[in-house]
Amino acid sequence: MTETLAGIAPAEAAAARRDVSRSEAVRRFKWMILAPLLLLLFSLLTPVLLLQLYFSFHQWTVYLSSWWNADFAGLDIFQSVFTDPRFGWAVLRSLAFAGGSTIGCFVIGFLLAYLIYRPFRGQALYYALFIVPMLTVPIVIAYTGQMLLDRSGPLNDILSRLTGHDIQVLWLSNPDIALLTVTLLDIWNWTPFSFIIMLAGLSALPKEPVEAAQILGASSWRIFWEVQLPLLRPVILLALVLRFLDAMGAFPIIWGLLQGGPGTATETLGVYIYITTWQDFNVSLGAAQSYVTMMMMVVIVLVAIRLLRREKRSLDTMYAGPREADGAI
Amino acid sequence: MFDQALPRRHVLQAGLGLAGLAAAPFGSRALAADEGDSIIAAAKGIGNTDLKAIMWSNYFVPMKPPIEEFRKATGIAITNIKDLSTPTIPQAAMAEALTRSPDFDIVHLGSEMIPSLVSAGYLEPLDEYMHKANYKMDAVGDYANLATYDGKTYGIITDGNIFVHQLRKDLFENADNKKKFEDKFGKPLAYPKTWDDEFQQMKFFHNPEKGIYGSGNLRSRGFGYPWFLMYLYSFGGFPFDPDMKPTVYGEAGKRAIEVYLRDKEVAFPDSPTWGTSQMIGHITAGDVYSCQYWGGLIKLQENPAKSKTAGKWTYGLVPGGEANGKPLYRAAGMPVVCLMVNRNSPHKAAAAYMACWLGTEKASSQIVSDRVNSFNDAWTKQEMTDPRVVQAYTPGGIKAIQENLQVSSPNIYLTGNQEFVDVLDKNLGQGYLGQLKADEVLKQIDADFAKVVKRIGTAKLKKDYKTYAAIMPKAMQPA
Amino acid sequence: MTKSRQRRAATIARYAVLTVWAAIVIFPLYWIVATSFKPQDQWFSWPPVYLPSPPTLENYRDVWLGATSFEHGGQTALSLQTPFLALRNSLILAFGATTLAVLYGSIIAYGVSRYRLLSETRMFQLLMLRMVPPIVIVAPLSLYFSYIGLLDSMIGLGIMYFLTSLPYAVWMTKSFIDEVPREVEQAAEILGASRWRTVFEVVLPLIRSGLVATFMFILILNWSEYLLALILSKTHVVTLPVELSKFEGSTEGRLFGRQAALSVGITLPLIIVGLFIRKHLARGFSFGMVRR
Repeated sequence: MTETLAGIAPAEAAAARRDVSRSEAVRRFKWMILAPLLLLLFSLLTPVLLLQLYFSFHQWTVYLSSWWNADFAGLDIFQSVFTDPRFGWAVLRSLAFAGGSTIGCFVIGFLLAYLIYRPFRGQALYYALFIVPMLTVPIVIAYTGQMLLDRSGPLNDILSRLTGHDIQVLWLSNPDIALLTVTLLDIWNWTPFSFIIMLAGLSALPKEPVEAAQILGASSWRIFWEVQLPLLRPVILLALVLRFLDAMGAFPIIWGLLQGGPGTATETLGVYIYITTWQDFNVSLGAAQSYVTMMMMVVIVLVAIRLLRREKRSLDTMYAGPREADGAI
Repeated sequence: MFDQALPRRHVLQAGLGLAGLAAAPFGSRALAADEGDSIIAAAKGIGNTDLKAIMWSNYFVPMKPPIEEFRKATGIAITNIKDLSTPTIPQAAMAEALTRSPDFDIVHLGSEMIPSLVSAGYLEPLDEYMHKANYKMDAVGDYANLATYDGKTYGIITDGNIFVHQLRKDLFENADNKKKFEDKFGKPLAYPKTWDDEFQQMKFFHNPEKGIYGSGNLRSRGFGYPWFLMYLYSFGGFPFDPDMKPTVYGEAGKRAIEVYLRDKEVAFPDSPTWGTSQMIGHITAGDVYSCQYWGGLIKLQENPAKSKTAGKWTYGLVPGGEANGKPLYRAAGMPVVCLMVNRNSPHKAAAAYMACWLGTEKASSQIVSDRVNSFNDAWTKQEMTDPRVVQAYTPGGIKAIQENLQVSSPNIYLTGNQEFVDVLDKNLGQGYLGQLKADEVLKQIDADFAKVVKRIGTAKLKKDYKTYAAIMPKAMQPA
Repeated sequence: MTKSRQRRAATIARYAVLTVWAAIVIFPLYWIVATSFKPQDQWFSWPPVYLPSPPTLENYRDVWLGATSFEHGGQTALSLQTPFLALRNSLILAFGATTLAVLYGSIIAYGVSRYRLLSETRMFQLLMLRMVPPIVIVAPLSLYFSYIGLLDSMIGLGIMYFLTSLPYAVWMTKSFIDEVPREVEQAAEILGASRWRTVFEVVLPLIRSGLVATFMFILILNWSEYLLALILSKTHVVTLPVELSKFEGSTEGRLFGRQAALSVGITLPLIIVGLFIRKHLARGFSFGMVRR
């Protein structure tokens, strides 16, 4: 930006003066944009995080005293989080749920995007249909799931009719299946997200490498694996990372459908923290659990950021050449 | 201003005196009718008040006519409710309590939350208001005790939830079945008196191929634990000793968990997640032979427009266990849904009188006899003979309710109820799914209970224990 | 010959896969609609009832008109409050917070795109605002809000929606702004327009369709948000997803028909708007990971 401007300016001294006042103005402009956000974040998050920290170190028994009179408990509360097998299981379930949902959404979303990205008759109709699940409210999906997935509900009925066998899968009541069931519902809900990202990626692919490969006589399978897929890497990573992080925090579908049951089969982190804090009113334990979860998420996000940045960098360098050329003209 | 206010008060007082005089000559028969008048008299000086309540709208609808009546008489009305489904109301009420919020005047929820809410400083004792308004909760048996804590009344009951044993009369009285049963077991097919009797019959009638399941009892998270408590009590057990040491792992506990878990043999395979909405459909459709269920279901079952099994049921006392060699009957009386008054509310007097008004015979019988908005259930003595109520519940149904109310047993009536219930939910759930063995369930419950007790404070809970023990029914069985 | 046959087989396979998924997508939606027209005894029945017979408008009436104004065989029916308060709240909150987030987000995005307002690292950190699940802060948040009077207020919940949607707003709009050639702004600047005017009158209008896509996506998230709305509201700012969960009683169970009747009302507007702007949606989701 400054370089191009310098080129326009006629006299060097004037340019330097203008540069000073200009950079001052830019600085002010930047601050005007950022100030409200920083102010909001500071006034909102600081007290909240401090309160959270306070609760994780003080055992507040809500029935006995006010929160500012809670007893100091040192690391006891964190210790009880780390020694609580129920919490460990909740972490594992969350990872399994988020992992399953991410992979499911991605595979289906990518397949659909691949089948739909070149124009054909009916493309618009399918496209419109495929994005609809994302437009439905998760809590609605949960409550609808209760009816659809009942043992004598329509899903089993349809499967029975299709296969000719009497199928009576306990989608909700079998503890070995329940987590898979909520994962499937989440996949239904969020496949459009991965689908749209992959569609954007596919339709933006440069045509030249594919055409070149075709001229060389490569099969479409090889073109997909060796030309298109590598080019799509950043988009794929994006689809995976965003979906995974979002699924880690999923709450309404699981809560609305099973409240963590049967037994504790679908008790994920969100559900367990909710139960601890809002059902048991064990605010301190809930705060400590939240802190541990937050730290875990931060680590995951940092890893994700590293991965995404690397892809973005390589993308930037790949496209850097032609862009600069554009600017020069 | 002042001059004008004075005469008004005189007029009011005069009016009060007249009301009292007018009521006097009618003797005891008129006392019940008079109950409403004395509440109005006590509330009249307060002036127009719009009350806000946390309440589920489906409970609220049938209360609207009596509320309107009270508004006409006193200017006091519930005009705004936070409409929440019943399972989320405890959370909302506790959140209110923690912030000492004056936003709501009345909360409407299960009495098992009374100890927690009182401890958190949220509830106003109502005895003084009841005394001033000459109002008494005239419940069947000791049922009204389920709304007290530490000798004080904190809730006015509107929904007399009580478990009633429900049996399919058409199957039970079928001569063919009677003969087959007698041939098989060498004893007549009689109304089940014990849990073992019931299980034997459930097994006998359990025939999924034909669409009949032995049991319609609930075993899911949030729904199953009342059954466990009922079994435990009926074998003479109690979850704690006076020192608040958990005592679930014991003889009574072992019998209770056995009854709880064996239901699986005669239950729907879905029962680990089925709540009332799924189960009620199957009960009314005729898929269930036997169950204990809240009395309100009778109004639905016997409504031919909504049920395929109207007239096919027989109702009675829940089966029992035994203690010291004598039969012991304990029906789960939970949740006893009450109107409670926020201590921090600026309108607490108005709210208290409103609650009393809705708990009068006149208002209550009108509320509980609504067959469409069937969520409030009968609980007062007079309702047991009120023709409208009897018609809604059928004579057999109301008799069964009356019997069970006399042995109604509470939820875990301690500060931190929700936490204790969560322990039950988790461990019973895992036991029912076979992830824990029966003994492990009991031991784990005790271990988890001990942790909760330690956190909330043993000294504090030892005091609560006295109330909990005191509100247990005295009678071994109904009179 | 074989090639064209192959191609035909491929086409058929493609339609087959797409149609199967379309069926999977449609069926649950159909079920919601069908349930909303069913009387109580058909909510859970075996075999399942696919076509409500006879269809009833009872559920819609009870939910949307409120039951008190209706008599029904001499008895009042269930349910009481109409969801219009919740509808109003949801509309104001979702549209308000989304509009502000997209507007502010695009200004930040402009700053990032043109002046490196935020470094790449900061940009990714911004995403964290979205990616840490709300459940982990919601307890102290509600306590804090109760002290500063933001509990059960439109502003309180609005701020949370605004903050959690901001990261997506910045990221999505940035990828559009990156595509706007700088020459346009330079021309405006030389003509004497201030930076703010350049942003509002030159840049943002150029990325209209991107803004629409971003707006829609964020609107979806805010419209269906459940946890924050559940905990940060009392009576005043009840939203539709929370309203939905009230159709349940502890001993009476869930009222699926009424719930479905409300669900249809909640979901339909979103689907209609979504279908109108579907073409824009795909582009907004590339987050700068796609170059054209």
